[in-house]
Amino acid sequence: MNTTSYFTRYRAKTLIAAAVSLVLAACAAAPLKSTGAADARAKLTVLQSDANLANRAPLAMQEAEAAVVTAEASNTDEEQAVHLAYLADRKVDTARARAETGFAEDQLAKLGEQRESIRLDARTREADIAQSQVATARAEAQVARTDADAARTLAAQQAEELQRQIDELQARPTDRGLVLTLGDVLFRSGMSDLNAGATNSLEKLASFLNHYPDRSAIIEGHTDNVGSDDYNQGLSQRRADSVKSYLMGHGIGSPRLAATGMGESQPLAGNDSATGRQQNRRVEVIIDNPPPAL
Amino acid sequence: MNESSQAPPRLRIAAGLTGALLLVASCASTPPAPIATLQAAEQAILNAERGDAGRYAAAELAAARTKLASANDAVQEEEMIIAKRLGEQSRADAELASARSEAAKAATVNEEMKRGNDALFEETQRNSGASR
Repeated sequence: MNTTSYFTRYRAKTLIAAAVSLVLAACAAAPLKSTGAADARAKLTVLQSDANLANRAPLAMQEAEAAVVTAEASNTDEEQAVHLAYLADRKVDTARARAETGFAEDQLAKLGEQRESIRLDARTREADIAQSQVATARAEAQVARTDADAARTLAAQQAEELQRQIDELQARPTDRGLVLTLGDVLFRSGMSDLNAGATNSLEKLASFLNHYPDRSAIIEGHTDNVGSDDYNQGLSQRRADSVKSYLMGHGIGSPRLAATGMGESQPLAGNDSATGRQQNRRVEVIIDNPPPAL
Repeated sequence: MNESSQAPPRLRIAAGLTGALLLVASCASTPPAPIATLQAAEQAILNAERGDAGRYAAAELAAARTKLASANDAVQEEEMIIAKRLGEQSRADAELASARSEAAKAATVNEEMKRGNDALFEETQRNSGASR
């Protein structure tokens, strides 16, 4: 800038020497606009019309304005004009930098607020998540409780149903399982064919076994001591087979059924009375308990 | 250093004044050095240096120093008008260096803050995404 002003001075001298009137005319018409005052004014105008910066550094802005006005007013001495334009240019730049600093400080405050809001959002979100997790856990617990209740109810119903079925069968629970005693009224004396009246009891048995397909049954035939052992053995076996056939005819698979003749070997009562002998003539059905408990 | 370079301003001042003898007399003798201007420039440079202008506005600070040195040279050569101009320009350069340093520092702080915010935002998004 300094060298420029010297250059300008020498150029002016040359012009004075060449054509004094021309120089004077030029100075009078457009005094020293090329010194930079106009450039400084243009820069200041741009700064003043920037909405983000115009009002941020009032003092520096006033100084810049004053310096530009001073530079614009200078039209006597070109060197001085160039100097004043330089000062004006620097002051406009300084005002811009001050305004930018002010703007940045405002932005910093906003960034601080933004950081707080990010933190707050994150905390809110975490709380929401925690809350929804609690709600989910609670709902799951409720479902589990309902399931457990339902399972318990079902188990109770099943136990009740079993008991009802057992009662229906008039079976008695023992260590071997449920024991159902079919009296000799099912059979005519000495015969192994089932009486018509027997079907009621056997229907219930078949129904029970169909209802609990994991249970199997042992069918044992027993007699009193009337007749030979061999005869009684054969008779008891035939009667047991007869019951097995009936059950197979009602949908129970043969692997679940075992029929055995026990003859007169396991009397329930003494064979010396008619009542005792009647008790001894029987078919017992032992329904085993299923492996897993209910 | 030589008299010829001082002649035009003096002649001009003399021509511009009509009848002020005192002023003519003062102009005829060597004008006083612009001490206040040079001191102000020096102070402005110190302020700029304190504001880390060496790092953030090195060109402006260098210009201010060079012009202050030239101004002192001009005083030595009794070129007081040139010395005063150079001093004023030096001060304007130094003040600009200070202002630009402040602006650059503020911008750096904001940039860091913004990066921090972006990182925090991403982190919170990732965390909530992971736990969902």
